[in-house]
Parts: sequence; C-alpha cells; structure tokens
Amino acid sequence: MRPSQAVLDVVGTFVRLGLAAVWLTSGSIKLADPGQTYLAVKAYQLMPDAVVHPVATALPLLELALGVLLVAGLLTRWAAVVSAVVLVLFIAGVAQSWARGLTIDCGCFGGGGQVAAGQTQYPQEIARDVGFLVLAGWLIVRSRTRLSVDGWLRPREAEPAVREVERA
Amino acid sequence: MGGAERSERKRRQQTAAGARAVAQARGSAGNRRTIVVVIAVVVLAVLVIGGVIWTNSSKNQTEGQAIPPVATNASLDTQGERQGAVVVSGKADAKVKIDIYADFLCPYCGQLQKSSGAQIEQQIQAGNLQVSYHMIPLLNSRSDPPGYSLASENAALCAADQGKFTPFHDSLFAKQPEEGQRGYDNAQLIKLGQDLGITAPEFASCVNAGTYNQPLNDALAKISADPSFQGTPTILHNGTQIDWTQPDWLTKLVAQP
Repeated sequence: MRPSQAVLDVVGTFVRLGLAAVWLTSGSIKLADPGQTYLAVKAYQLMPDAVVHPVATALPLLELALGVLLVAGLLTRWAAVVSAVVLVLFIAGVAQSWARGLTIDCGCFGGGGQVAAGQTQYPQEIARDVGFLVLAGWLIVRSRTRLSVDGWLRPREAEPAVREVERA
Repeated sequence: MGGAERSERKRRQQTAAGARAVAQARGSAGNRRTIVVVIAVVVLAVLVIGGVIWTNSSKNQTEGQAIPPVATNASLDTQGERQGAVVVSGKADAKVKIDIYADFLCPYCGQLQKSSGAQIEQQIQAGNLQVSYHMIPLLNSRSDPPGYSLASENAALCAADQGKFTPFHDSLFAKQPEEGQRGYDNAQLIKLGQDLGITAPEFASCVNAGTYNQPLNDALAKISADPSFQGTPTILHNGTQIDWTQPDWLTKLVAQP
C-alpha cells in the first residue's frame, strides 16, 4: 500500500526541517569561530592559501543560507539540489583525506584541523554525510511539504478551476 | 429567446468570468512568487555580505593595533643574549638550567607564559635559573595570512640583538593572536620594538629582511626530526621533560638539592 500524499507531505516537512537544522547548526558554529574554520578547511590540504581564505569565509554563509531557505520552505528543490552538491563535495573531501592518510577531523560541526593518528573518524563522518544526502535526495524528488512558503505561493484554489475551464 | 438559449449564454458568461478570474489569480500568484523570491534573495545577499564583513573583521582584529608593550626587569636581558637562534636569559652559574621550546602563535605556549612567566622571570632575577628560549616556527602556516610564527620569532631575535628580548617576548604573548586569524605584520613588530625603547635602525632592517628566518627554520627541521619532541611548548631540564601544568613545577625544580 502506498502512503497517502498527506502522509508524504508531513514526512517531507520533517525531512526539510531536519536538513535545515543541520545547516543552521553547522553554519552558525563555523561562522562563530572563523579562525577555526580557516584551519579546518586548510587541513584538507586541497587548496592553496589564497583559495582557503575565501572558501572558509563563504562556506558557513552558504550553509546558513541553505538552512534559512529550507526552514522557510522557499525554493525547496533548489536548496536541496545545492545541499546535495555541497554534501557530495564534503564526502569527497573526507574520502580523499582518508585515502591520502591525513589525520584530520572533518570540522563538519566546528572543530577540525589535525588530530592524532588514532583519533580520525572518517567512516562515521562519511556515513553521517550520506544520511544528510538522503534527506536532500528526498526533497529533490519530492519537494512538496507542509508549512512552507513554496506551498503558500502555489495557486491552490486556481488549479481545479483551470482544469474545469479546460474541460469546458 | 428560449430558456435554453438564455441559460446557455449565462453559462458562457460565467465560464468567461471564471477564466478571467483564474487568469488573474494565476497572474497575481506568479507576481507574489516573484516578489517573495526577490525579497528572499535580497535578504540573503545582505546577510551574506554582512557575514563576510563580520568574518573578516573578526579575523583581522590585530590589524592597525599597536601591540601594548610589557615592561620587564632590565636584568633579564644582556647585549649578548642571542646565541644563534636561541636566547639565553639568566646567570651562567645558575643552579637550574632549562630549555623552553615555544611558538608565539601556540595557544598552550600563551598559557604557559600566563601561568609561569612571572615565576620564571623571578627565579632568573634571583639568580637561581637560566633559561634558553628556543623559538620554533612550528605553526607558521596556521595564521591567516600564514607566516606570523616565523616573522614574530625573527623579530624577537632582532630584539635580542638590542638587549630587549624578554619584554618583546612577553608583549607578544600578552596580546597573542589566535590561530587561524591574522597575526601581526612586520610594521607592527617594529613598532613594538620601538615602543620598548629600541632606537637602533638595524632593528627595523633586521625584522624586514627576515635575517634569522634560516636559522629558525633549521631549528624547526632539527627538532621535528627528534622523535621525542612532543610539540610546543616543551620544557626540558637536563634533557627530561617537565610537566609545566603542575602549578609548583618551578618551585620544586629550584628547591631540588
């Protein structure tokens, strides 16, 4: 039996708010400590210093912007697409650190930078990001949710009337 | 005009009115959507610009600041205190001799200075202690822009040439920049030296030229190759590591028979 549209809308709402909470939390922690964020980005050893600086500045703001859009439920599908792209980049970043034998903390929710050899948590970090990616995937496939600006903007009353006129 | 015809016309009129209303509703919903999206984009843009400004100002707190000079007892410094990349403070016949390995950017080095700096200087003045300060540019890449560790340590050696190492060292730790943020540039380091009473023009040229960069980097390479080196700060007494987190470590050391 397929769940009803109403149930899927409610599930989607929780998915949207969950992903929003992830971005708002990680973004605000990163924004609050720009020095640490710079070191966390730098620890991936992927970019020259001249690029680390703008990336470390922009990343928390991008995360917060996605969080705000998802909380509001505005441009939900676009926010989900960008979220998925960012998460894939995060997963790639963690995976390459793991593959290259770097010993870093992902700095996903604050912290970051070098850690002792036994302190890395690459599998957990990747698993967590894949979980978030599933949330983003849901919203890409099915972006309709309750309590969203997108829903408020959708011309709800007009749609059946349109169909009636077309029939006539 | 038959009843059927009338009702047919009425139906058509109603349909036309309904279509108009739908078109209107659609148009206004489309406008509403555009307006909301534009407002949202503008609000987000303002937040992002504000965020960039906030991030930069928070990371560049040291910009345009004069490092407050910290005065220390003149007996702690001598004209010949610099020996290569090491600065020696205290009497040669002091009972206890220790080596301190530190980096001006390292937060724990700042803590060591805060918790033990005054005691160390007291014991040097009392003639009980001789300290060899090894400055290690271990965190040179960890300021933004990178390079503060090496620049500050070179400047401290330049200050040592002018017999002003200890106040220079203490001033830098007293107003220590944070890791991942902007350090102090050469102009600020030179200004600090001048505020501490250095008048020789050689000081500024020494700071700007990075005169001691090479010996400092050599010292870093040498100590990094030592497997027993645990990072900064490290305090060694006769080659054994001292646990400086014990509040009475120095008192105990000096009290040893």
